[in-house]
Amino acid sequence: MHRGKGMKFVGDSRVPAEKKPNIPKDYSEYPGKTEAFWPNFLLREWMVGAVFLIGFLVLTVAHPAPLEGVADPTETSYIPLPDWYFLFLYQLLKYEFASGPYTVIGAVIIPGIAFGALLLAPWLDVGKERRPYKRPIASGLMMLGVVATIFLTWESVDQHDWEAAAEQGQMADEEEDVEVDESAAGYEIYQSQDSCIGCHGGDMSGGAAGPNLLTTELETDEVIDIIQNGQGDMPADQFEGSDEELETLAAFIANNGQAPDGEGGSGGEGEDGGEDSGDEESDEGSEEGNEE
Amino acid sequence: MSEKNHRVSRRQFLTYTLTGVGGFMAAGMLAPMVRMALDPALEASGGAEFVSVGLSEDDLSEEPQRVDFNVEIVDGWYTSEQSRSAWVFLYEGEILALSPTCTHLGCTVNFGTNEEYPDQFFCPCHFGRFERDGTNIPGTPPTRPLDVYDVEVRDGMIYLGQINQRG
Amino acid sequence: MLQKVYDWVDERLDITPLWRDIADHEVPEHVNPAHHFSAFVYCFGGLTFFVVVIQILSGMFLTMYYVPDIIHAYESVYYLQNEVTHGMIVRGMHHWGASLVIVMMFLHTLRVFFTGSYKKPRELNWVVGVLLFFVILGLGFTGYLLPWDMKAYFATVVGLEIAEAAPVVGEFAKILLAGGEVIGAQTLARFFAIHVFFLPGALLGLLGAHFFMIRKQGISGPL
Repeated sequence: MHRGKGMKFVGDSRVPAEKKPNIPKDYSEYPGKTEAFWPNFLLREWMVGAVFLIGFLVLTVAHPAPLEGVADPTETSYIPLPDWYFLFLYQLLKYEFASGPYTVIGAVIIPGIAFGALLLAPWLDVGKERRPYKRPIASGLMMLGVVATIFLTWESVDQHDWEAAAEQGQMADEEEDVEVDESAAGYEIYQSQDSCIGCHGGDMSGGAAGPNLLTTELETDEVIDIIQNGQGDMPADQFEGSDEELETLAAFIANNGQAPDGEGGSGGEGEDGGEDSGDEESDEGSEEGNEE
Repeated sequence: MSEKNHRVSRRQFLTYTLTGVGGFMAAGMLAPMVRMALDPALEASGGAEFVSVGLSEDDLSEEPQRVDFNVEIVDGWYTSEQSRSAWVFLYEGEILALSPTCTHLGCTVNFGTNEEYPDQFFCPCHFGRFERDGTNIPGTPPTRPLDVYDVEVRDGMIYLGQINQRG
Repeated sequence: MLQKVYDWVDERLDITPLWRDIADHEVPEHVNPAHHFSAFVYCFGGLTFFVVVIQILSGMFLTMYYVPDIIHAYESVYYLQNEVTHGMIVRGMHHWGASLVIVMMFLHTLRVFFTGSYKKPRELNWVVGVLLFFVILGLGFTGYLLPWDMKAYFATVVGLEIAEAAPVVGEFAKILLAGGEVIGAQTLARFFAIHVFFLPGALLGLLGAHFFMIRKQGISGPL
């Protein structure tokens, strides 16, 4: 570096006025197949990164982040489960030697030793040798730790009652998955009934005054009966239109907002749709069956 | 390797490609995030819902009457009720619902409270005056007519919608 | 044009030497997958950092909609997930990124361990790396509560019970983390502060130290 007398500065600052070339070092003369970090190696690395990013975005689009119902501290039957990377610790506390009076062992001593050893590894394994098979104790202990962690996580996943978990954690937006068939004759009739919409909403999903009409488990006849005679707070004789229209609408509701089939919509066809509450697959199934 | 022998040196080429790949990664990461941040600005604002004011068509007369009603304001995940008022009356056979907010500085106007002008809306703050149909009277502070509500009649009941500016 | 802007700044601040300090270093053959494919194990550190960058960015954007309050937290998450365009993607990036960063970090740790790269003179960098490991686990734990759904709440209840099992300080640690006897409003506010300010601050500081030491010492040699 240039020092001493004769040095020029920019203005009254301490920045040297002399211009330096902005050219990377030439590594081609170095021994071995060394290459420059910028731009050669970084380009390779970023290309890997770009592919990784595409895969990652595909994952996020394909699997939206789960969201269960809002937390309810009074719910006592909920089976809790930590995020997967804490499962090994969660599982450890289930074993007899690490629970009850010995919780300290499972919660503090074993993880403490494991993570303490990890933190202090450079001073526990002081030999010069770097190859893993030349230092069997260190490698063995690490393998043991990895295997134990994977085993505990596996056991925890295996023992968890996933079906019960899926039920208790019903995603809050599942109701929205029910799609109303807006081309059905029943839908048009529904849209013309202001008194229905007033309580059950324009999208039939219910409101403060009336329940969701898309998840009823009623059959066509029962729906007609309720519309004509009322039920609970629901007043009787609100429907305006012919009996035929009433039946079409009732079949449409009994079939959870899907057109029962081309004509009329008698009680029989409402049945398949009426029994499943908004399950898409079987809805499709029943539609196909009806077309034949 | 000299820098001057080629018009685009290998290093320059690599740097350009690097910038391109980096730009792609940045765009891939940021595009959904920026779209999310811009969402409120890009979302088309739907017209306000019509709300019943508890008046039937028969209750109306030429004489403006003040009605108070509540509208639901949906603000993202938070819904609140806001009270609104309107002057509702028949004007040349049409139902007219005027917002009582003075177009001058936002005070509340009253009808006929000024004894000199019993047939006008009067704002007590700066003595702004409006004709019966809401037109501002030249020479008083307000510079545009009172805003009007969208009006709809359903089953003989009056429903008011969003507020529109005139003039 | 760009060159002119660069020259203008360079004349005043002499940034070329700084820039060359960052850019000018060689990458040895044994970590370059182009020469030995098995060298891909050296990518995990970089990928961990990449996911951390995704986490920081998506987290910043998520706080535009999220409120840390037990009345509205769930509502706001539900809103940003279902009502906001692309909100589902950004939340998904943050959610899956949290898992990925731990996977990548785990693999990176194993690579460093089995290549013996933590030995003299790189002991300090190993310690900083393990601390980073703890910070990221802490970010995972505190972030899990924030949506305030059933899963989040009960996972935190269990987590705090584990903390309580520690002798002597357990009770104290639990109350400190939960912000009181009840796991509720104060816990959420605390976890939010820890997740968004304290741990990311520590993370950035430790990352800086991690990279500084790598540049200073260079990548460990071939086995």
